[in-house]
Amino acid sequence: MIPELGNIALTLALVSAILLAVFPLWGAQTNQSGLIATARPLALGMFTFTLIAFVCLSYAFATDDFSLSYVAQNSNTQLPMQYKLTAVWGGHEGSFLLWVLMLSLWTVAVAIFSGSIPQEMVARVLAVLGMVSVGFYLFMLLTSNPFQSMLPFVPVDGQDLNPLLQDFGMIIHPPMLYMGYVGFSVAFAFAGAALIAGKLDSTWARWSRPWVQAAWCFLTIGICLGSWWAYYELGWGGWWFWDPVENASFMPWLAGTALMHSLAVTEKRKVFKSWTVLLAIGAFSLSLLGTFLVRSGVIVSVHSFASDPTRGLFILGILVVLSGGALLLFALRAASLNSVGRYQTVSREVMLMGNNILLCAATLVVLLGTLLPLVHKELGLGAISIGAPFFNKMFVYLIVPFVFLLCIGPLSRWKQQSVKALARQLITAFCISLVAALLIFFSYSEQAYMAVLGLTLSFWILVASVLEVWQRIGAMDSQYSIAKRLRMLTRSHWGMILGHVGFAVTLIGITLVSNYEQERDVRMLPGEQITLSDYTFVFNGVSKTQGPNYESDVGHFSVYRSGEKLTTMMPEKRIYTVQRMPMTEAAIHTTISRDLFIALGEPLDDGAWAVRVYIKPFVTWIWGGGAIMALGGVCALSDRRYRMSTLAKFKKASPLSSATGEHA
Amino acid sequence: MKKTWLVVIPVVLFSLIAGFLYLGLFSDPRELDSQITGRPLPSFTLPDLMEPEKQYTPESLAGEVTILNVWGVWCVTCAVEMPYLTQLKEEKGVKFVGLYFDQDLDPDNGTKTLNRVQQEVSALLSRYGNPYAFNIFDTYRDTSLDLGVTGAPEHFVIDKKGIVRMHHVGDINERVWRNKIEPLYRKLTQGSATGADS
Repeated sequence: MIPELGNIALTLALVSAILLAVFPLWGAQTNQSGLIATARPLALGMFTFTLIAFVCLSYAFATDDFSLSYVAQNSNTQLPMQYKLTAVWGGHEGSFLLWVLMLSLWTVAVAIFSGSIPQEMVARVLAVLGMVSVGFYLFMLLTSNPFQSMLPFVPVDGQDLNPLLQDFGMIIHPPMLYMGYVGFSVAFAFAGAALIAGKLDSTWARWSRPWVQAAWCFLTIGICLGSWWAYYELGWGGWWFWDPVENASFMPWLAGTALMHSLAVTEKRKVFKSWTVLLAIGAFSLSLLGTFLVRSGVIVSVHSFASDPTRGLFILGILVVLSGGALLLFALRAASLNSVGRYQTVSREVMLMGNNILLCAATLVVLLGTLLPLVHKELGLGAISIGAPFFNKMFVYLIVPFVFLLCIGPLSRWKQQSVKALARQLITAFCISLVAALLIFFSYSEQAYMAVLGLTLSFWILVASVLEVWQRIGAMDSQYSIAKRLRMLTRSHWGMILGHVGFAVTLIGITLVSNYEQERDVRMLPGEQITLSDYTFVFNGVSKTQGPNYESDVGHFSVYRSGEKLTTMMPEKRIYTVQRMPMTEAAIHTTISRDLFIALGEPLDDGAWAVRVYIKPFVTWIWGGGAIMALGGVCALSDRRYRMSTLAKFKKASPLSSATGEHA
Repeated sequence: MKKTWLVVIPVVLFSLIAGFLYLGLFSDPRELDSQITGRPLPSFTLPDLMEPEKQYTPESLAGEVTILNVWGVWCVTCAVEMPYLTQLKEEKGVKFVGLYFDQDLDPDNGTKTLNRVQQEVSALLSRYGNPYAFNIFDTYRDTSLDLGVTGAPEHFVIDKKGIVRMHHVGDINERVWRNKIEPLYRKLTQGSATGADS
């Protein structure tokens, strides 16, 4: 009964999406306010029906309804309740349901928080979101319906969720990532609506800016969580693998970062208009491309869902219609665009343009590295693989000019900046950061010159950020106290500062962990010990324990630092009983300056075990920096001007009544 | 006019990418396309591993269905499959020829002597069984490169006319033999027997 209800709800959501794609747009083009007014209720309807479908699927998981083949394949009676609920998005069909739920959530959010935008524009934006939705609802219902029934052959028990996914990181990583991916659809919809209306002025940039910031925050958090999850759950000790699926999430992030900056220029200075439109289309297209890569099985990856060419073909169809259509429309409309703003060679506009170019270059590098094996093979040149060395090398080249511009940009003025004043500040900042980097460099016994480069760049950003704040408050009225003046900086300004500082923190983490990581892969008998820098690890043997749906060998390690006992670490080797799948649960001891990481390998003969021990300096800074960046995004979002318009909206009316009785 | 061209570039690029993605959908990414399959062996003149004065060319393999096995003493999986290969040789009369590959044995910058490797090879073969009719020593490892070898062990099924019929990456175990190699091997041995009659 409940699954049928879910199926019906999904169908009704499709119907709402179709209506949403047609009527409001028709109304906006022919100027019929009755049709324009249908946009908001239809968006709300689409969201409600999708939510019902999602709740139905969750219910089926919670009650072990194995008559649904999706539940039977991804759950099990032994699975703990929290993982039963997260198993809803543990496979292809359910994760897609989450995807469309997010899409409808963004749609309804646009419907609610768009009171200050002209009604025809909202109608067009929602209609474009409707078009995006139609494709995905059709895709779900036709090729990957989670409500597919197994009747009359109902299995007694399910096949269990992939043990890799039975983890806290997995509970929140996909929702965050999808929120980010799908969030770029809003910027796409704004750009699409502006293209359809032929009104490519800077207003659409102002409206879509907070949406891009929100999506970017989610994507940043999602990527960080994914990286963190890979770090402690996969047991490989790495935090980024340049896996095609990681790349698939990284490309929209790079494009989204470029878009966020370009939107600021378009809004403030009314230049780079066509470029911003292109980035808005690009960011969402890359999200779609990511979805395609993960779900079509075109590229081999640890993340791939079970592949099926028809599914891939369907997503490719959606990609071609949406992105191809938008780009075609862009080609027709953008030729007539002229930028009106004027600016000199040394100005903030140019710095931001440079930053955009570098971010796009980085996106292209990732895109090339991900797709080249495929292209190479289809051209009949044989199979090749492109690995981490390529990406690492390219990113080292890109990051130097990128950081340079990142430091200059905030310090320069719009329109025109005196080179002399800028040079003095930059050189001061550079000297301070070089000294700091060298100090750290000499505190390590190993010699790694890349570390000096990475650290200098990171500190340069930090010092330049401080200088920038100093310059700002110096320009303010000196009768206020410094604390007061700091508070007078806008929240979106703080957002920028936090974003840049977060990037520097991540860069410090990456630099130190890549250059000073220590690793030992050893065979250990109980009672043996190894020493890595200051730490001594004593192996006390292995005991067996029983989890709810797994059996586990737990290794016991005592860790001593300079003779003093620091902690006990217990890495595990689990066998999940239903899927007979072995899993490595690494033991990690974290402090702010380093992680100790022990992974238990295979049991060897005569009671010895293969053991991997790492010391990872400053590795948590990588994700900490990501969190600061996301916090910066939240800060920018909470800027006064957005809160004002939202408050005004809330005072007016609730979304439903506003749709009927707007513009009193 | 210049601007018109610029704005068309994105849509053109996108179409190109979409085209490749479409093609990619219908090919298996895990399949290593061996370009050698269906073609004759690349030409070579290489010495025997044990008796370097003896030289082999592709013609040395003609006339009999042969499985060319790329291996080395440094390769653990090679040692693992050796007993099964020996069993195949003894029970079914499969002819294996080794293509010996060793990075450390390069005449210009290797760290091992030929003598030492010969000893290691004899030791290994006497321990795990010797499936090989003979071993060809790929001195500069270029024949392996011509064959598209990416690791060891790899196997090439070669028919009586010296044409490569199959490239199998990885070890041969009972399952692989039954499902993948034996059907072709049977066809080649029987098919060309009738071919020789006609």
